[in-house]
Amino acid sequence: METWQILEYAAWGASALLGLYMLIDWMKVDSSYSEDVLTSSREGELEAMTEEQHR
Amino acid sequence: MAHYEPPKQSKASQLFDVIVLVILTVGALFVPIWLKMAGAAKSVTQPVENPTWETLGQTPAQAAQYEALGYDPASAHDLILARFDYSFSAGALIAMIVVIVLYYVLMLKFSEVEYREVIAEKFGDRR
Amino acid sequence: MADIDITSQTMDGMGPHGTKVGLLRVLGPAHVWALGVGIVLVGEYMGWNFAVGKGGAYAALIACWFAGILYTCVAMIDSEVTSTVAAAGGQYTQAKHIVGPLMAFNVGLYLVFAYTMLEAANAITAGYLISVVAGMTGYAGELDQRPFIILVIMFLAWLNYRGVLATLTFNLVITAIAFIAILVLFLSTSGVLGGGIMQHAALFEGHEMPYGWIGVLAAMHFGLWYYLGIEGTTQAAEEVRSPARALPFGTLAGIMTLLIAATLTWYVCSGVLPWEFLGDGVNGSVAPLFDTARLSGSNGLIWLLGFGTLFATLASANGCINDASRAWFAMGRDKYLPGWFGAVHPRYRTPYRSIIFLVPIALIFALGAPLDQVITFSILSGLLEYTFMPLNIIMFRRKWPLNSIKRGYEHPFHPLPAVTLLALCALTFFAVFLGYGTQLVAMIGFYIVVSLWFHFWRYRFVNRGAQFTMPWPKPQGY
Repeated sequence: METWQILEYAAWGASALLGLYMLIDWMKVDSSYSEDVLTSSREGELEAMTEEQHR
Repeated sequence: MAHYEPPKQSKASQLFDVIVLVILTVGALFVPIWLKMAGAAKSVTQPVENPTWETLGQTPAQAAQYEALGYDPASAHDLILARFDYSFSAGALIAMIVVIVLYYVLMLKFSEVEYREVIAEKFGDRR
Repeated sequence: MADIDITSQTMDGMGPHGTKVGLLRVLGPAHVWALGVGIVLVGEYMGWNFAVGKGGAYAALIACWFAGILYTCVAMIDSEVTSTVAAAGGQYTQAKHIVGPLMAFNVGLYLVFAYTMLEAANAITAGYLISVVAGMTGYAGELDQRPFIILVIMFLAWLNYRGVLATLTFNLVITAIAFIAILVLFLSTSGVLGGGIMQHAALFEGHEMPYGWIGVLAAMHFGLWYYLGIEGTTQAAEEVRSPARALPFGTLAGIMTLLIAATLTWYVCSGVLPWEFLGDGVNGSVAPLFDTARLSGSNGLIWLLGFGTLFATLASANGCINDASRAWFAMGRDKYLPGWFGAVHPRYRTPYRSIIFLVPIALIFALGAPLDQVITFSILSGLLEYTFMPLNIIMFRRKWPLNSIKRGYEHPFHPLPAVTLLALCALTFFAVFLGYGTQLVAMIGFYIVVSLWFHFWRYRFVNRGAQFTMPWPKPQGY
């Protein structure tokens, strides 16, 4: 049966495409935003927010 | 307590730390496999010559299910007779208990030291 | 929250402390349920039956219920702490605030390894399933499973990369289908809706306790597999709209679903498959629910359970990628790991670097290690984590007694669940020791080495006071 061999190649191809998509997008994001913005996330925003409101 | 200012880590040093972690991780899984010390293999200790369902200890109802699954007494022989060996030495058991307890004690002790530092800086007198 | 509405479009993810891009708060309780149950349900479709092999059918049922008690304690304790400490990283963040940095580092690694290994195990199973389907449709050659294993991991990583809402909505759908498949199988084979094929008494005859009581103990090892991963619900804490409500609700609903699914699974499988076949997950029954469907003689059931198995593995791998990357991200954000990992994608709002980094790691294990080793590695990391939980809750209640801070959920009968959990963990350590002692020691050796590395080297990059982010009063006794 040919079908399964085609499916094997299709799976290799799709994997490569998805991997490539992530790599390219990653490079694009890293080069168009500054590191400070990207890593600005801090833990406990909700909590900090309540803290500020009660002040 | 004085405010602790951590050094900024360079890219190369960050990369190096990641590589160290990955090597340790892969090592922890693959070293036991390479040393062939991994896994509790089941083995057949009392093989049966020319097995039938009866000599394999199967009732007709059980045999019927095996046949429905596509087995005959010969092909089911290993599957049915393989057993784990649960014997162990007291020494090995004690060694394991010591290792586990030691690990958690070590963990809690170091954590406590670091935790006191955190609390002192967070809640200590702020100038 | 009048002036700062974090659920609004413009303010979402932003906040004080200078967060410019944070994770997206979009999930509801159903997603939490889907994340928790989605990861675990695969345990009903494969793997739990090793417990039958270690002690016989009755032993597996006893282990199922004792492990159920263990996980009920886990869910209760977890719900209380996490409804109070609601941040990505889950148990890692809890440990950081309650026990201390080194413990937190270890817990973070337990999480990442338990989930990444489980993800690898799922991909291996999916690859195997596809090769079975190829065989059933008449493919004569040997199917190369590798492209399918890689595709599973790549596709799910891509889905995770693109956003959490789509990821967990996908999980909700396929988890629900997999769960319904178990219900349908039970209803149509047990005799509830006519024509039952259960013959427990006849199949157990002469094989009630093949190893005696020590087999029951040993079965606890794989008894965990019925529920492993339910504690992962906490990883979504930073992405649910109201963590204090949704997390306890989703987690407790999840454990109830699993108790039902686990018992039904045991019932239908042990009533149809002889125990020696059922208990050998490598040479015998790789996918017990699927095998049960095969013996039912109904084509509809075979297809339903075939898809159920595939969906369960996908849902589980999906949830694992989600959880492992959140834990890795949280550690990067605190500089426990290189700070580079603490980045959030500005458009998709996911921890994209952590997701990408964990892909090759998962591939190494999925392609390079045998299934039972991978599962044992995952179970051991989980077990170490459950042993940490009772210590965690006892210290939590001692440092911040009930009236000192507001908790979203308070679990009843403290300290009974903590003590029960600790005792059951000790029992499970012994069960793992019966047969897998070498891995246990290798694993703990690994954690000791990494701990020393962290304490003496890595910790210098961590901010001391700033990593404590909860607005709590000073803990008692300090």
